[in-house]
Amino acid sequence: MSVTAHPIDLHEAHDHIHPAPQGFIAKYVFSIDHKVIAMQYFVTGLLFMLVGGSFAELIRLQLWNPKGTFMEYHTYNQMFTMHGTVMVWLVLIPLVTGSLGNLIMPLQIGARDVAFPWLNMLSFWLIPVSGLILFSSFFVGAPSSGWTEYPPISIQQGPGGALWSLSIIVVGISSTLTGLNFIVTIFKMRAPGMTWTRMPLFTWATFSTAILNLFATVALSAALLALFFAQVFDVPFFDAARGGSPLLYEHMFWFYSHPAVYIFILPAFGVISEILPTFARKTIFGYKMIAFSSLAIAVLGFTVWAHHMFPSGIAPWLQIPFMVLTYLIGIPTGIKIFSWMATLWGGRIQFTTPMLYATAFIGTFSFGGITGIYLACVPVDLHEHGSYFVVGHFHYVVAGGAVAAFFAGLYYWFPKATGRLLNERLGKLGFWLFFIGLTGTFLPMHWLGLEGMPRRYASYETFAKAFPDAVFWNRFESVFSFFMVASVGLIAFNIFTAIRSGRKAGNNPWGARTLEWMISSPPPYYNFKKIPIVLDRPYDFTAPLPYLNLDEEPDPYPVPSEAVLERPRVAVPVGA
Amino acid sequence: MARVAPSAPQIIATKGIGPGFVPFTIVLTIINVAIALAVIYLPLNFLLPQESNPASDSAVGIDALFKFMTVFGSAITIYVSGYTAYFAWVFRRRPDEAINTVGVPIHDAPKLEFWWTLLPTVLLVVLMAFTIVVWKQINFPTSAAALTMEVVAHQFNFEFRYPGLSGSLYSPQGEMHLPAGKPIKILISSGDVIHQFWVPEFRLKAAAVPGLVTELNVTPTHNGRYDIVCSEYCGVNHSIMQAQLVVEPPDKFDAWLSHERVAVAATAGQVQLAGGDAGAGKTTFTAKCSACHNAAGSYDQKIVGPGLNHLTDDPAHPKLVNGDDPSPENIAMLLVKGYQGPIGVMPNRQANGLSDADIANLVAYLISLK
Repeated sequence: MSVTAHPIDLHEAHDHIHPAPQGFIAKYVFSIDHKVIAMQYFVTGLLFMLVGGSFAELIRLQLWNPKGTFMEYHTYNQMFTMHGTVMVWLVLIPLVTGSLGNLIMPLQIGARDVAFPWLNMLSFWLIPVSGLILFSSFFVGAPSSGWTEYPPISIQQGPGGALWSLSIIVVGISSTLTGLNFIVTIFKMRAPGMTWTRMPLFTWATFSTAILNLFATVALSAALLALFFAQVFDVPFFDAARGGSPLLYEHMFWFYSHPAVYIFILPAFGVISEILPTFARKTIFGYKMIAFSSLAIAVLGFTVWAHHMFPSGIAPWLQIPFMVLTYLIGIPTGIKIFSWMATLWGGRIQFTTPMLYATAFIGTFSFGGITGIYLACVPVDLHEHGSYFVVGHFHYVVAGGAVAAFFAGLYYWFPKATGRLLNERLGKLGFWLFFIGLTGTFLPMHWLGLEGMPRRYASYETFAKAFPDAVFWNRFESVFSFFMVASVGLIAFNIFTAIRSGRKAGNNPWGARTLEWMISSPPPYYNFKKIPIVLDRPYDFTAPLPYLNLDEEPDPYPVPSEAVLERPRVAVPVGA
Repeated sequence: MARVAPSAPQIIATKGIGPGFVPFTIVLTIINVAIALAVIYLPLNFLLPQESNPASDSAVGIDALFKFMTVFGSAITIYVSGYTAYFAWVFRRRPDEAINTVGVPIHDAPKLEFWWTLLPTVLLVVLMAFTIVVWKQINFPTSAAALTMEVVAHQFNFEFRYPGLSGSLYSPQGEMHLPAGKPIKILISSGDVIHQFWVPEFRLKAAAVPGLVTELNVTPTHNGRYDIVCSEYCGVNHSIMQAQLVVEPPDKFDAWLSHERVAVAATAGQVQLAGGDAGAGKTTFTAKCSACHNAAGSYDQKIVGPGLNHLTDDPAHPKLVNGDDPSPENIAMLLVKGYQGPIGVMPNRQANGLSDADIANLVAYLISLK
């Protein structure tokens, strides 16, 4: 095979490898290694998930009783505000972009690190800073007007609101910098031969996400800076009596926060697109359509924000273009879902924990996507807006979509990151708990909302009179929400035991084909001693691996290692 | 048997789409048809309040759209989940299968992809057309409104204003009444933060945004008593911000409205201003008015509302904000009725919790500010 077309010589001129840092601080605290930073994001995100999840359970306890006597209304309002804020900005963004993106993307493109390692370190350290600012608001009265913090109510709530704005501005800076960093990394640091259409699909998804991070987050920062000035210096940006407009904030907020949904879900699409071919032992169906539909969703995602505002006082004629554009997103999303199903078709599917999550994702995400079409339909949205239907919809997309895909990715890449396998039996039990908990908690929310239960209600006595089943369904949800707690607890337990005594993973336990599996687990400090050369897309299981110049020579046809098979397999004649 | 060295993959080809594909498809289709028939023909009161006897004209179109989406949406969900589960089962790796088996690589199937792009697109275009028809009915009613009324949302009650009724009704004591079968225009605004006016049985809601007047057009079609709820978070008591809506036959509605007119006029006339105590008025002012009004400053020294010093003898502002002369009786009437106009909103006596004595004391205090 001719490789002279690739600029190997040029590359090797820069091929010096920095020595690994010595000392605890340089190695683990202020590290500039993308893998360590990914772990830092992971641990931080998981800790925040425990906090945000506790808030969610307090919410469910309050709703056990329609009178809502578990805590004061004001405390409840703080709980749902902090739950949403923590989960969106301190859990999902750090986990999905920060942790998976940082760990996997540079490995997948054959790079030794991201383009700007110091900037990457800064991006990470802004997250705990933001968390500290946010949680310090508990000392002065935590914010209580929901994760959207619409003015004027968010201006009435005292210093806690200003701390909220400040904290999210800090997360926004972190996201913007990460977006910039990843775009440059993917543009400039792909291994020789890795053209755009040979890039792994998780990297494609990370690239689309980075575009959103870079361009949407600045709008959020602008909105929140204006809100901060309104809260602290009484600048009347949003005060109608003094010439401002509360709707201005809603427009700016959703200009970011709709793309934000895609910031969680595009990497999730990427994770699913990696896991399905690996465990179906079959090439991904429709590589280009999956890659380009990510870009299409990212671009369309910028044009649909006002569908969050149909009954908010925007002109009726303005509703129609936003509705049409939102419907359009259904088309690339449908293409992805059908392509994943076609990938399963004719495969030799091995049901490991990541594969269970990935398969369930297809169903839960489709359901969440279809309820999204209901909400995009203006007249139906006039009924559903602001109700529990919305809460059910976005939890299906976020918990059933982004979080499920994150767990899939966690089980898939944990062996790469640590060199240890997670326990499959615990993993599968955790999956079923998560999936049952998800359905039991979020499915009934749809009919509660349709029957007229508004979101953000600390008590629902009046509604329970109009719809007596409300008490039953709310208690049902509360019970099932603890299944998800148990599932997250199992994952945490699994991680701890795996780190202490998990089985060794080897380089490529799943028999996967992307570049990150061609190096040792955990990867060495420099990732690749020699920069590999890429000859083709990674996913064709019938072809030998399309890489040259690897540090270790892998089996040309990777297969799952003995360690991950349920029982030792012996060869039988095909078709017997 | 010897272990196969993990080298060249064994490609396992599939005959047909898969075993049992046709019967499985028939089962899924029967389920979908059954759901579609149930959605179309059975009352859906367990999903949508009062679906079987719609409470408003808009509810008919919105429920039809909802059913359309549910028929196709549930079919898509069931086919997608069903085939995913089916493929997962049929193409599962057998326990005794060799380690190196792989599926036949299929990179694309342009015909299939063309159809699965085109069909959802067509479905969405049909949905768009249907949506626009219903949207037009809701936003642009064909007949002129028989009644235009106002709803002003406050933390944490709804204020209802009717033409010819010189005071407002406040929830939870006051109820909103509407005549059945008449086109109504409801103008919605806010006195403080963003709220939403939602009547689930009407399937309609609109935001109450400070500085904006939003419009809701509806023809109630079914007599009854409905909950009005606030569906945009508006503060600590958001979850108990509700009101009652009574839809009744037009003659009963007219009787109710004229009764309210008489009752409000009587209340307004009853305030006895004699014996008002300016000292007590100052206390009441500090407690209930000083958040918005500056007693020591002149008109332009606003907090929210105008400054009230020289209320009765300011040459630059010889009239009250509602255009009346600043006589004690007119000041009292303004306190009773409240105010909404270009410079802002002041709640009425019920919202401010002012007794007759409070009003007399306040008037005595206000006219003493010179």
